Amino acid sequence: MKGYKKYYGQKLFWYFLTLIFAVILNFILPRLMPGNPVSAIASKAVSGMTDSTAIQKVLNDYATKFGINEPMYKQFFMWLGNALKGDFGVSFSQYPRPVSDIIANAVWWTVCLQLPAIIVGWILGNILGAIAAYIKGAFDKVILPIFLFIGNIPAFGMATVLLYLFAIRLKIAPSSGGYGYDLIPNMSWTFMKSIIAHYQLPFWSIVLITIGGQAIGMRSMSIYELNADYVKYSRFLGIKDSKIVGYVFRNAMLPQITGLALSLGTMMGGALVAEMVFSYPGLGMTLLSAVNGQDYPLLSACTLIITIMVLIANLAVELLYGVIDPRVKANQQD
Amino acid sequence: MKNTIKQVFHSGKFLFGFVIFMFILLTVLIYPLFVTADPLQMIGQGNFFKPGTYVSVEESTLEKSYTLQIPKQFSKLEMVLDVETRAKIQDFLLKQGVAEADIDVTDAEGLVALWKANYDPNTKYKGYTTAKRKALKRLDSQITAAMKDSGVIVAEKDEEGNLQQSKVIKDTDYVNIKDVSKKTFLLGTDNFGRDVLTELVAATKSSLKIGLLAGLIATAIGLLLGLLAGYMGGLADNIIIFITNLFTVIPSFVILILISYSVGDKARGIAMVGIIIGLTSWPWTTRSVRSQVISLRNRDHVNLSKLSGHSMFRIIFTDILPYIASYVVMAMILQISSGILAEAQLSMIGLGPATTKTATLGLMMQWAMQYSAHLNGSWWAYFPVVILIALISFSLNLMNTGMDQVFNPQLRD
Amino acid sequence: MGKVMLEVKDLKTKYITRFHEDVYAVDGVSLKVEEGKSLGIAGESGCGKSTLALSLMGYYFAPLHYISGDIIVDGQTISNMKPDDVRRKILGNEIAYIPQAAMNALNPTQKIIRFIEDVIHAHGIKMSKKDIYDMARERFAELGLPEEVLEKHAVELSGGMKQRTVIAISTILSPKVLIADEPSSALDVTSQKMVIRMMRQLMEKGFIKSMIFITHELPLLYNVTDDIAVMYAGQFVELGTAKQMVFDPIHPYAKGLMGSIIVPEEGMKAHNLTALPGTPPNLKNPPKGCRFAPRCKYAVPTCTAMAPDEKEFENGRCYRCLMSVRKLREVYANGSDSKPEPETDFD
Repeated sequence: MKGYKKYYGQKLFWYFLTLIFAVILNFILPRLMPGNPVSAIASKAVSGMTDSTAIQKVLNDYATKFGINEPMYKQFFMWLGNALKGDFGVSFSQYPRPVSDIIANAVWWTVCLQLPAIIVGWILGNILGAIAAYIKGAFDKVILPIFLFIGNIPAFGMATVLLYLFAIRLKIAPSSGGYGYDLIPNMSWTFMKSIIAHYQLPFWSIVLITIGGQAIGMRSMSIYELNADYVKYSRFLGIKDSKIVGYVFRNAMLPQITGLALSLGTMMGGALVAEMVFSYPGLGMTLLSAVNGQDYPLLSACTLIITIMVLIANLAVELLYGVIDPRVKANQQD
Repeated sequence: MKNTIKQVFHSGKFLFGFVIFMFILLTVLIYPLFVTADPLQMIGQGNFFKPGTYVSVEESTLEKSYTLQIPKQFSKLEMVLDVETRAKIQDFLLKQGVAEADIDVTDAEGLVALWKANYDPNTKYKGYTTAKRKALKRLDSQITAAMKDSGVIVAEKDEEGNLQQSKVIKDTDYVNIKDVSKKTFLLGTDNFGRDVLTELVAATKSSLKIGLLAGLIATAIGLLLGLLAGYMGGLADNIIIFITNLFTVIPSFVILILISYSVGDKARGIAMVGIIIGLTSWPWTTRSVRSQVISLRNRDHVNLSKLSGHSMFRIIFTDILPYIASYVVMAMILQISSGILAEAQLSMIGLGPATTKTATLGLMMQWAMQYSAHLNGSWWAYFPVVILIALISFSLNLMNTGMDQVFNPQLRD
Repeated sequence: MGKVMLEVKDLKTKYITRFHEDVYAVDGVSLKVEEGKSLGIAGESGCGKSTLALSLMGYYFAPLHYISGDIIVDGQTISNMKPDDVRRKILGNEIAYIPQAAMNALNPTQKIIRFIEDVIHAHGIKMSKKDIYDMARERFAELGLPEEVLEKHAVELSGGMKQRTVIAISTILSPKVLIADEPSSALDVTSQKMVIRMMRQLMEKGFIKSMIFITHELPLLYNVTDDIAVMYAGQFVELGTAKQMVFDPIHPYAKGLMGSIIVPEEGMKAHNLTALPGTPPNLKNPPKGCRFAPRCKYAVPTCTAMAPDEKEFENGRCYRCLMSVRKLREVYANGSDSKPEPETDFD
């Protein structure tokens, strides 16, 4: 138990450090660039756009809240203080909605879509990869290249394929949005049904992409494990193949968990773009509208929340890994 | 070296990937030699023309025609009976007591036959206002006209501005396609009326450039940091691996967005996007180079060089680099492939190269999405892009796997 | 004469390589091990020792394939049983195996006791978890292994401890034959001693009825096993009691092998250290005549043309050479490098 405490303590500390670093980066990167977005806001306010009153208001709000004219470090602490209170200012593009309100709305759509999709895709991919490694022959020869190809289709590409097939051609699924455009969110059965129907295509496109990538990794891990000495030894002790496959699956899966932690960020990035294809009301669309509307406050809040989500997911995976793999415990005891 | 390359080419996977990639590359290089038009020239006036050959209507009507007795794709009847008209006919027939099961709105001929059997222009149908009765009459004469084989009358304005019949085009008139001006769009046109195929070739070229630039930069940074961390060890290693771990966990996607947005539209050209992607994707290479160098660091030949008093640079260049060269090449292949993907995703968010002079695969994707090609069924505007991105990354990954199997015999099966 | 626990008659097996070539790694091996006895098999690496170990178990999976020959365990012929039956009834139960690389023989992420449960349940033995635990604890205690090991994962054990655990698990069902393939070669000297002591204990306490011990370290065999066979290129070239083999080897290869080691035993003759030149033959297409002929310093032209059969002499000793025992002894006694004429009479 002592070993675990140390492991968890280290992990938590490290992730906290990363979080701080990420927050600093989120603040400072845009401000280091030649086209400083904050001054871009100011220039926009005076450039006499049609909605100049709104922009002027946002600018004033931004200037007082974030102290644009103060030195950098003061700005940072003001920004951080506000961010900790969940106050990211007011959105340009959706004036006068506060940014935090927009984000709070979008974040659950993304979490509820991507978390289950990535988990399901990961599990299915691992099972298929292990089967391919175990059966070999035709299954491996046919299925593997297919997955290799699918794994290389970008998530948004898979989204367009599914959209075209099931929404445009077969018309068995809605093409865009998170629920029917004629519905008002409530707890009714019709609304739920609409949500589930709109969930399918984005969900399965993320699942399919994840399966492709995971299956290939799992296959080579499993082949590696199937050649391990313990497999041979277990056979010579008369243990059944089904049982041995269980050992192999578990051992091959462990590196896959670490792999998942390492690639979560990339996967989420791809999935966010896939969300956009379906106009799913999650963070993907929020990002798109922030970029299209030149809405810096919204964009910066989006990137921050995405980073935090990836960090939390990563931490969760690593903590879980510590429990599952006895090697972690053994290493801590040395 | 020669032997290694030979061995790599013996791997089926590598060869397959290499052939696909070379095919794409050669197409990109050779196609512009034959099609010299500006890839971004807006030929079509309007959105999303579907793939096919377009012939000049004017020339077709004026050109010498031939009579061919072959059934045509679109009968005039089908053209006259649009969806609304069909609905009207169906409505009328139902009121006349025709069983719903007998009416097939997709079959124009059958529908007209039913209409002729049930409609009599001299009958005063009950339940219709006068205006509606007149509409029915008009419909009947329209149908009658369509059924007659009268052909299309071509008229020209005479000096007084009156229309004078100059030619009648019959049902059976054909022109030879060689005699008229035409343009083939193998993949249709996009939302701006540009030839998708020509655009796609140009876009692939610029995407490959971005991928290559990103891959080179990421590999250079990753190699440098990995060599330093792995070879020096100690404090340098700790600092570098700490930073690398930070950037592995913080999604590069996010940093990419932040930088791209901040750089601003004006500065964001093809090269800039490539550089930004390269600057955000080095951690992977750093990690793998570092672990390779660490495993090499204590090998006998390296120790021997150290004892002989060779300089660090010499040791790195003669005793370490040759051994990790294959890994570095493999890492770079993956970096190129992920760079192309990163550009596509960035462009789809609207942060891709802000240029009107060239297309990239990502920009083509973004244009198609912005003009709802995916919702109005214009598949030719985005499927080829998706397939090309997938093919490039598939071929590069295959090459990588093939090389991996050659250099790591344990993976062979 | 005790009950015969393992008898092998003219066993032949082969490997099929990735390039579809046949490698005849075990090419006509016969042996007999009685109850309470042990047989050591020695030879250079690549001579087919490890393949023989795998082949003796009667269960084959790619790339190893069975060709011909009989394997009889305690009167039961297993070489003509269905593979699944062999696996379920024989392996782990009647014949136990200790692999060469015991370091990696245990699943790293499984607790030892869970693995023992799997082994016992695989043979259709109905036992509760508690009974299995009690039995395993008792057996571990008898073999001098701490009880805590049962609740640990393989990664938490040291190398020597892992090897001893593997031995204890392999013999948990008290098999009739134990086949140990270099069980101690990867260990440090202390662990090696403990492993050897453990192997002796297994025999003494009756946890195994007979043993085949494969190694490239001959002195080890002299201390552990009753009989020794020397293997070369997929065949036995000589078989005899440990004492005979060490002090009076007949076959030139056995003689060379013994000469290449120093046995610090009293009464041992001072050998001239003779290194064996050359390498073992390629088993994809072995030499036509005597397989050792290309390296044999006593070889004559007939040796490369004619393959020798196994010849028995002095009750139970066997050797595989065209020359007679008397002639060979004479040659050795002269210590000369002159080449005697072979006597081509085989009885």
